[in-house]
Formats: sequence, C-alpha cells, structure tokens
Amino acid sequence: MLDFSVVSDLDVHLAAIAQGDAQAFARWLSGAELRVRESLRSFAAQVDTEAVLQEALLRVWQVAPRVERDGRGDSLLRLAIRIARNLAIDELRRRRPTAVNDDALLAEIDVESTQMRASAPVDPLLRTQIVKCREQLPRKPAAALAARLEAAGGRPDDELAAELGMKINAFLQNFTRARRMLAECLRRAGVDLDAELG
Amino acid sequence: MSNVAGDDERDRDGLIEQAAGAHRFRDGHGRVLTHPAWADLDEAGRVEAFERALIVRRVERALDPNGLSATAQIVLARIGAAPWHS
Repeated sequence: MLDFSVVSDLDVHLAAIAQGDAQAFARWLSGAELRVRESLRSFAAQVDTEAVLQEALLRVWQVAPRVERDGRGDSLLRLAIRIARNLAIDELRRRRPTAVNDDALLAEIDVESTQMRASAPVDPLLRTQIVKCREQLPRKPAAALAARLEAAGGRPDDELAAELGMKINAFLQNFTRARRMLAECLRRAGVDLDAELG
Repeated sequence: MSNVAGDDERDRDGLIEQAAGAHRFRDGHGRVLTHPAWADLDEAGRVEAFERALIVRRVERALDPNGLSATAQIVLARIGAAPWHS
C-alpha cells in the first residue's frame, strides 16, 4: 500500500516523478485529480471532460521531467490545470469552430491566484464508514458497484453487464441504485460527501 | 402498457451514468476518445454527467486502498505502472 501522508504542496513528489517514479506520480494523482477535474467545469456541456482529463494527466507525466519548481508551490498542479484547459479548448474548437468567440467559456482562469486545494488523503474512519454502507447494499446494486470498482475504468459497461448476466440498462440502473443508496447511508451517518470526500 | 416518458428518462439516466464512468476507448494513436454516451446527451445531461463523475470518483478514491480513483488508475496503467491494470 502506498504511504499517503498529509501533503499541502504536491510538488514534494515532483523530483521523484521527474525521475520516472510511478508511485510518486500515484501520490500526486491522488491529491491533484479532483482539483484538475473541477477546473474543467465550465467545459462540461461542450467537451467530454473525463476524456480530456485522462489525456491531460498522461501529458503531465510526459512533461514532468522538464518542470521546475517556481517556489510558489504546486507547480505541477498548476501546469496540469493549464494543460487540461488547453486540451479542452482544442477539443471545443474541433467540435464547434464557432464557439471560439465565447469569451465566458474560454476566459483564461488565473491559475496563479487560484487557490490550490489539493485533496487530503482519505480519512481511515471515513473509509470504514463507506465500507459499512457498501456492505448494506442489496445484491444486484452491490454487484454492479463491485464490477465498476474492480474494472477501474479498464472495461466498458456492456462487458461488465454481460459478465454479471445483466442487460446494459439493468446494470446501469443497479449502479445508479448503489450510488444513491451509498450516498444516503453516508448522509445518515453524518458524512457530507463534498466536505469529506473532496 | 409501457410508460414511454419513464423509459426515456431511464434511457437518459443510463447515458449519464455511462458518461460519468471512467472507461474511454482510445484511437489507433492511443488518444483518449469521447464516450459515445456523452455524445448522445444534451448539454444539461452532459453537465449532470460531470457532477455525477465528481461524486463517483470521490467514492472510488475513498474505497481504494491507495486512494486512487478509476481515472487515476487508468492513467497509471497507461504509463505502465504496476500493479494497476493495463
């Protein structure tokens, strides 16, 4: 298991990442991913932000050996946000050439002054509560959730559904039920999803 | 008698759930492609998929022993980092 200590400046991992240390990149990803994803919110209606984010994170790994810390903290996170937004703009231009004049959408965010709030490591007690809630799920929603978690994005939903003997719509409905029941269980336990899981 | 409006709503919700998932196909150059379900959604559905993905990635991260979402695991697999799937 990786050692996740509380890190306020994700650049502590930069030197190791630049040396090709994938475990260090994993630690960086754990803290940076949600922040980069949230930076793409304004593009959500126009581009597939999940695809853009994956492509951006791959590019971050490729350029990391050339990144130098600038002393302001989270140099790699700020670069990741720039890369992701530039990719989103490229995709937007490709899909809708007329959208390039949408100033509100394309307005450059001030990455330098944007508060860099990397995700904190997951609280072990919170993880225990989520596991408890997961154990209470009915069989089919639990199976759909488990299939998605085990696949970790590596297989399409229709394959997962077929493996469980479900039609794709039934699989997706069961996954939706699992997600909602998990959220409700956590709420009953006093867990604020945004505050605790961010 | 079938409930057409209800069926439509379930179909739409299924598209949102798929688009909120982390799986994406890649082209011959390895470039990550837009999910077909995302392409079938209207703008409101796409925004909903974005918000749903934020929640699902947080849950994945919380349940993973290494604190990694499915997105992070895909990226690590792509760079050849074991023990993540390829």
